[in-house]
Formats: sequence, structure tokens, C-alpha cells
Amino acid sequence: MAWSRKSAMFGSLAIALYLLGLTLRNHQLVTVAVVLLSFLTWAALRSAHADVSASGRRMEERSDEEAGASLSRLEAMRKLSAARVFEDGTVDVTLKVQNMSPLSKVLEVRDSLPEVMRIKEGANYILMELGPRRETVIEYTVECPLRGFYTIGPVCIRIQDSFGLFHKEKELHVYDDFLVFPKTEDLKDAFVKSKVPKIFTGAVNIRQPGPGSEFYNLREYIAGDPMKSINWPAYGRTGKLMVNERERDAVSDIILILDSRAVAETGPVSRNSLVYGTRAAASLASFFLSRRDSVGLVSYADEIVSVDRDTGKKQLYVILTKLAGAMARGATPLQVVTNRILPHINKGSPIIILSCLEDDSTIVNAVRDLRARDFDTTILTPSSLEFEFDARRLDRTGYEVLKTERDILISELRGLGAFVMDWEPDMLLSTALAGARGF
Amino acid sequence: MAQKGVSSDTSHLYDGKVVRSSAPSRKALAAKMTGSSDIPEDAVPEVHIPSFVESLFGGPLVPKMKFLPADKMVQTLQMASGAVMIMLGVLTYIVTPVSGTAWFWFGETIGVEVLGLAIHLLLVLAAIGCGFWGIISRDSRFLLISYVLFIIVSFRFAASKVSFEWLSFDDELLQKIALVAYAVLLVMYIELTNGVIRFSMLDTSIRTGEVYVMNVKKVLTKYHISLVITPIIAAVVAITTLLFKDVISGFVGIFSEISALRLEESVELESVYGVALGTMIVFMLVAIVFVADIPGRYQKMREGGSDE
Repeated sequence: MAWSRKSAMFGSLAIALYLLGLTLRNHQLVTVAVVLLSFLTWAALRSAHADVSASGRRMEERSDEEAGASLSRLEAMRKLSAARVFEDGTVDVTLKVQNMSPLSKVLEVRDSLPEVMRIKEGANYILMELGPRRETVIEYTVECPLRGFYTIGPVCIRIQDSFGLFHKEKELHVYDDFLVFPKTEDLKDAFVKSKVPKIFTGAVNIRQPGPGSEFYNLREYIAGDPMKSINWPAYGRTGKLMVNERERDAVSDIILILDSRAVAETGPVSRNSLVYGTRAAASLASFFLSRRDSVGLVSYADEIVSVDRDTGKKQLYVILTKLAGAMARGATPLQVVTNRILPHINKGSPIIILSCLEDDSTIVNAVRDLRARDFDTTILTPSSLEFEFDARRLDRTGYEVLKTERDILISELRGLGAFVMDWEPDMLLSTALAGARGF
Repeated sequence: MAQKGVSSDTSHLYDGKVVRSSAPSRKALAAKMTGSSDIPEDAVPEVHIPSFVESLFGGPLVPKMKFLPADKMVQTLQMASGAVMIMLGVLTYIVTPVSGTAWFWFGETIGVEVLGLAIHLLLVLAAIGCGFWGIISRDSRFLLISYVLFIIVSFRFAASKVSFEWLSFDDELLQKIALVAYAVLLVMYIELTNGVIRFSMLDTSIRTGEVYVMNVKKVLTKYHISLVITPIIAAVVAITTLLFKDVISGFVGIFSEISALRLEESVELESVYGVALGTMIVFMLVAIVFVADIPGRYQKMREGGSDE
């Protein structure tokens, strides 16, 4: 039997008045106590709680039958509009509650949502009167602001007496899982290409304009096109400036290395290095795969998780799923990662590291190893200092000292020939990449 | 190069949201900050933990009890609470004479007898005043003070025999009915004012979209029915316990008229201890009902009865 605070107050007040009434030999107090007790008892009798109170068992040991006859014949079903959405996307939830009992019930229904979800439309908390053998449909829309694996459920149902003195609760174990992928940014230009063309066995006809040697197309000049690509004979014939477009040369193997150590989650929940890193990895994977490049992902936390290089849309979803599930934990150093993956990467493949560069003394050595083997290394480093400073969790002196240390590390990495971009919170990914690659 | 007619910001790319392509000046921002290493107040999220008083009223309540304007249901409950409170005030004044109270003793001790009466009257008026303000402003703190004052007024020593100083009932039954009416009105006053707060919370939650209510009329009808039935049941139980002496003597009279007469003339059964005995027996019967799980069995029977 679940007592509310109100019923506890009524109960203790009744007992206190009763005892006081007997002590003071006061009829008024005893009468008020008797009325209060009658009030409570009647509410308890009407709520039919005796079965629960008499069992003496813990909540988790109770069967449906023991949870109370009044709740035993309620059922729920849920349907989601999508099982996979991108961050800031919405999911429409349709919850059907059925009352299989021949009695009408006043129910409080709450569909449990993950904490980070926001209700955009409708409500997941409903108070209703559900008639005998009737069903009702509850619809609401949730917004998903953060990537991850999420579960909606269970459905909590509560029946209480009219005065809110006693209640009985039951959880209907109806769960629906869905996945929120990190949101992607549209990257307009190819910033990274392999220095060593990858030759597949069998012809891979890309048929896309891009950096390459074979002629692909002729088009009108657009401001910003390099002068060397102007086709002067065509200009002479047509009187318009025309430029040569070339067919992209080869398919690259792009390796994305995501730092998901515990330190990567420093900062607010929605603005930290890991969130930015996963979004960048998703955007880059989407961009390179759309160019028919081969993309692999290595995520390191307390263990190293990798997705083998592959191409196509399926590979994108494999990578997005891994990114959605990336959890910040552990402290594996970068050099352990590079030592493990280097033998398996094609020579000259571009490597993009997404890391906050904190709490890892092996970073310089790891990047030195990569550069020594002539890997095209780009480091995008979301600064957790900025996140902390913006959230006012870091004072000015601390910020300045840490910032100086970070700048020194970045300079050292640049000195090794890596493209490093200190990615500030308000900066677009494309801008950060352009900065990293010196465009 | 910026094209003609196209905005130079990024609002066209991100659903109207302007996203800057470079971070604001950290140095400028840093310079504005103080040298203190204390955690700024706005860095800690505001969490409203309901106070004990709030939680008694079915909390957590909205911070500082900022309810939206009362709807029809809440207004009706406010009016009903007000009416019950007035009746309770009058009845309290009738059934709780000043004699035997601590303030009556104090007035007599200092030789100003009227002081006890003044304090008594003041307590009743204060209870009504606090209740009135609590109902109008829907402030549970004032309501709680009102409850406490209404109870304090009836704190009398040696009031074993029911006595009304302000109104005399010759009939013992009428006296007991008046006493039960006072007790029922007090409990109903507590419940109705509690309902004002509860339904204000519910109404605010509905209007702010936190809760959705289906079949509101049926939900409210059940509450209204309970408001009528429950006090009747409570009154019947209370009358039974107060008239326990008559019930027990009537029962014993079946077997022995002399014993019944003795019981009827018993001073102990007439006193508050008789009521206590009655209460004990009535609630022992209730306990047996609970132990035998009769409500649960009845519920199961209703749930499964018309299944086939």
C-alpha cells in the first residue's frame, strides 16, 4: 500500500488527536480523530489496498496479480515514427492504453522518457478516465537533442483514490529502443585527398568532378576558379571564360580517429569535445562516403573500437551507429591506438584525429610516428577549455594558463607537419577544416 | 566571394539561426571576469525542492505557488471551502466553550476573566481569517495555520462530558450530532481546501501542457461523488462510536436487562473512555476486514466477474 504524505499527515494527526483527547478527556478531539480515521479507512477500503499491504513482500517480488486486481488488466502498446533519427530530430510516439477490465478506471499514465529528451508536442503524462473494455491513444512528439541509444518506457500507471490519500502503481514493461545519430554538417569541398592513388582491382569509374588528371567537363568560369584551369582556346571560340573540370583521380582510404576517453566529456552535456568530435566524424564520414571514398573509424576510450574501411551508404550507417554509442570512459593513450592501427593502414592514407588533446602525454610521439610514415595527418581539436570557460566553470587565470599550455602543444604538433585546428565552440566544421588545411 | 542578394551570415543555411564562423574574443570575455574562483550563481542549475508544507499538499508544487488564474472547478471549490469554513467557525464557537482552556485558566489567574474569552474568540477569528486568505490566495501555509488554530481552539482539559456553553441542547443525541457535525466539517474543510490546492496544481499543469487530461468531467464527477459519500460514511462511523454505550447496552439487553441497565448508567461508558472503547471495537472490525483481504477479493470479483 502506498501512502501519500497527505494520508500520513491525516493518520498521524488522527492518532495524535485521539491520544491527546484521551489524555485531556476531551470529547471534541476524540471525535475529530474518529472522523479522520473513518475518512482514511473508507478511502483505503475503496482503493482495495489490503491485498498489497497484507503480502509483506518487496515491490520487485510482486507479480502482476499481487500488484492489485485493479491494475492487472491494463495493457499498453507503443509505436515510434522512426527507429533512427539525427540529433535535433523528432520522434512521434503513439501509445495505446487498453482497459481489459469490465470496470471503468481513473488512471494516471506516464510514459517514461530519457532525461535528455524534450517534449515538443503533446504530453507524456495523462490523467484520464478509461471506460470498461475501452482503449485510448496518446500521441506526443519528442525532440532528441543528443546522440545515443535511447529507450522509451516503461509505462507507469497509477490509480489513486479521489482524495489522493492512497495510490497503487504498476509499470507496464513496454520498451522501444531508438538511435539518435550525431548530426552532420554539409561539407562543400574536398579538403583531404590521398597522395597515393588507391587502385582497385577492376575499374572504379568515379565520374565525378574533382581534383584529378583526366578531363571531365567544360564549364563557365566562376569567381574563385584558379587561373590555370581556364581553357583559353574555348574562350577564344565562345568569347566566355571557360574552365576545364577534371574527373576525380582515385578513391582514398580515410581513417577517422575519435578520442572518446573520459576527459573528452569535460564541459556541459551538450557542448563538449566528444559531442563535437562525434558530429565532426559523422559529417566527415558522410562527406567522404558520398565521394565514394573508403572510410574507417577508430574510437578509443577504455578500449579501442574500430570500423573497417569500406564504402557506401551501409558503411555510413555502421559508422553513425558506432558514433551514436560512443561513451566517454577510460584513458587509452593515442600512441597505443596508432601502434595498433598503423600496420593496417595503406601508406599515404589521410588520417583525421578528433581529440581534445588533453591528459595524454603520448600525443606528440603518436603524431611523430604518423608523420614519419608520411601519413597526411589532420587534427581537429575541440577545446574543452572553451566549453568550460563559456560555462563559467573555469576562472580567468586558470583559463589563460591552460590555454597557453594548449597553444604550445598545438604549435609542437604543427611543427611535426600535422594540420592542427583549434576548433572553437562557435566555429563551423567546414571553417575549422579549412583552417586546419590552410585554405 | 559574397553573391549579390545573398545574406553574408549563415541564417539561410541553418533555419534562420545565425552561426558565427569564428569564436568571440576570449580575451575580451576573460578581461570582463572577476578574479574570484567561486562558482558563479548562474552556473548552478535552479532546482526547486518542495518544502515539507508544500509536499503535504501533494507536492512538488510549482515554485512559490504561482498558479494560473483559477478555473471554474477551482472557483467552485474555493466557494465550497469558504462556506464550510464559515459553518465550521460558527460550530467551533458553539461546541468548544472557553471553560477548561489554558487561556481561560490564564485569564482567571490574572483576574481578568474576559481575557480568556477574548483569546478564544480571537483564535476562532484568526483561524477563519487565515483560512479565508489561504483559500483566496491559494497559499497552503495560511491554510495549515488555519487548521492548527481550529484544532487548538478545542484543546480543553477535563471536558469528558460534552458541554456547550453557547447553545444548550437538552437532547443528548442532538449534542452528539452537533459534535460529529463539527468534526466532519473540520475534516471536510481540510479536504476541500486541499482540493483547492490540488486542482489548482492540476489546472496549471494542464494549461502549461505538462499534463493532458482526458474525460475531465468524469474525473471530476468521481471526486464530487466522493465529497458527498465520504463525510456521510465518516459521520455514521463517528455517531456509532459516540453512541457506543447505547449500542452495547441494547446488545447486552437481549441477554440480560439488568446488565443492560447497568451499562446504560455507567459513568465510564458515558465518558471519553466509552468512546475510546467504541472506537476500538469499530476499528477492530475494520482491521478484520483488511486482514481477510475483503476489499481485494471484492475488487477481484468485480474485475473477473463479468469476464465471461
